[in-house]
Amino acid sequence: MATIFNWTYDENNRYHRWFRTTVIAITSLVCFVFAWWDVSLLLNSTAIPTPLETWDALVDLVVNGDSVTGGRTVWAYIASSLRTFLLGFLLALVVAVPLGLVIGYSNTIREFANPVIEVLRPIAPIAWAPIFILAVDYTIGPILVVFIGIFFPVLTNVVFGVQKIDPNLMDAARTMGASSIQVFYKVMIPSAIPYLMNGIKVGLGVGWMCIVAAELYAPQLGGIGYYLSTMATNGLWPNAFAAIVVIAILGIMTTGLAEYVHKVISRRMGMSNV
Amino acid sequence: MSELIEEGVISENAIETDVFVPESEVKEGEAQIHIRNLSKTYVTDESETVVLEDFSLDIRKGELITIVGPSGCGKTTILRMLAGLVQPTSGQILIGNRECTVPGADRGMVFQDFALFPWRSVRKNVEFGLEIAGMPKEERRQRADKYLKIVGLEKFADHRVHELSGGMKQRVAIARAMVTNPDVILMDEPFGALDAQTRNIMQAGLLRILDKTDQTIIFITHSVDEAVYLSDRIVVLTKRPARIKEVIQIDWPRPRDRASVEFTALRKRILEELEKENVMD
Repeated sequence: MATIFNWTYDENNRYHRWFRTTVIAITSLVCFVFAWWDVSLLLNSTAIPTPLETWDALVDLVVNGDSVTGGRTVWAYIASSLRTFLLGFLLALVVAVPLGLVIGYSNTIREFANPVIEVLRPIAPIAWAPIFILAVDYTIGPILVVFIGIFFPVLTNVVFGVQKIDPNLMDAARTMGASSIQVFYKVMIPSAIPYLMNGIKVGLGVGWMCIVAAELYAPQLGGIGYYLSTMATNGLWPNAFAAIVVIAILGIMTTGLAEYVHKVISRRMGMSNV
Repeated sequence: MSELIEEGVISENAIETDVFVPESEVKEGEAQIHIRNLSKTYVTDESETVVLEDFSLDIRKGELITIVGPSGCGKTTILRMLAGLVQPTSGQILIGNRECTVPGADRGMVFQDFALFPWRSVRKNVEFGLEIAGMPKEERRQRADKYLKIVGLEKFADHRVHELSGGMKQRVAIARAMVTNPDVILMDEPFGALDAQTRNIMQAGLLRILDKTDQTIIFITHSVDEAVYLSDRIVVLTKRPARIKEVIQIDWPRPRDRASVEFTALRKRILEELEKENVMD
């Protein structure tokens, strides 16, 4: 015993720091599971299954697929959701990045665009779901909801990034003979990239929240959100909770990936503290 | 004050009359840069601020000229007008025979806060001006490496800017300004953000680099010590609105001894003049 625990924590050792963080994180999750278990037993309601029941339903979902409604695998649900998510994400980038650069660059365009942005931005993206899906199209609708969710964080961050550019950097480029266009793509765009990455990081989180809600309105699309709502309407609570666990894991993976890419790119761009 | 100088009151001091010419005239045909009656007024809704008034100066080719003056007197504005980044309210700047109104690659600039591109490596920073000029990749690289060698940073070519110390950053910025071989290099308090020791090292280093070139340097500083150490001529400005108070020619050989009698005497005299300007009225 003594030999195993005979070590002192060293703040300067990255492995020690990593070990400490991991232990605390695992403890936190274990506490959460036990608290959930307690609540479930105390309320004794079928709507709140125990973690064990959820686990069983999750294993069943992963191993046997959706045995309730008709044989689709969990991967099919996930693939469908990710496809919608990815398309919404790409659409948001394609529209928000150029728009953000232009709005950040020109005062006139910013003054013109700001009122519209300020009217639309506070609307919860999910509020658009019934309109987009029922009025537009059930395949495009969820993509548009994700688009709205990611669009505004990316747009506002790119605009902010362009405005935050160190004017000395632009002056330096100009004294070396750079034209306005060269200043734009050799100084302004690279300067704005760390902010863009920050917008993407925030946007991915919001977008992921939107996808599940959007799918509730588009059963034909059959994403993981659809599975969740079907299970819940049929009172199969452990299965519904299993779906929530899948959504949580995918969400963590998405934001984790975005966080990592943000860190790598910010470091590469020499702006580790944005 | 300026009348006193013209009348020779100040130069009655024996040491000073021996060492320098108080009012130095640039002869016709010698000058490369002509600054003619330059004025700058910043206008806002509430106020009009005259930053610079009737500033005229001729600068010779290959000269290292420093401009010193009280804080906030408009030194930087003069330099930014020379760079073409700010337009004068009236007057003109001629380089050779061309009037300079927009920034151009014939004038390089070094900024107090370095203004290096953080997303570029040290070498890519130095290459920037060459890239703009459309030089082929291979040639660009060779030329950048040559200038990095001149500033003693060839080993750091592939480093990122944030990995360098302040002094090294400014050496990169100097290499970047010189690499396109501009006629004039404008330096805006380039060593102002550095500690005293690094500053002295950088000053000596700058003189070594300039030995190998004939570029004209216009150097803004608020350190009188720095001005006396570096300059061929020192332009002393009044408080805002800035006018030329005095132009001092220094013909001493380099490197200069900061502890010598004439060095300390001149430094003291300029400091006293600036102090008079700094008195609140």
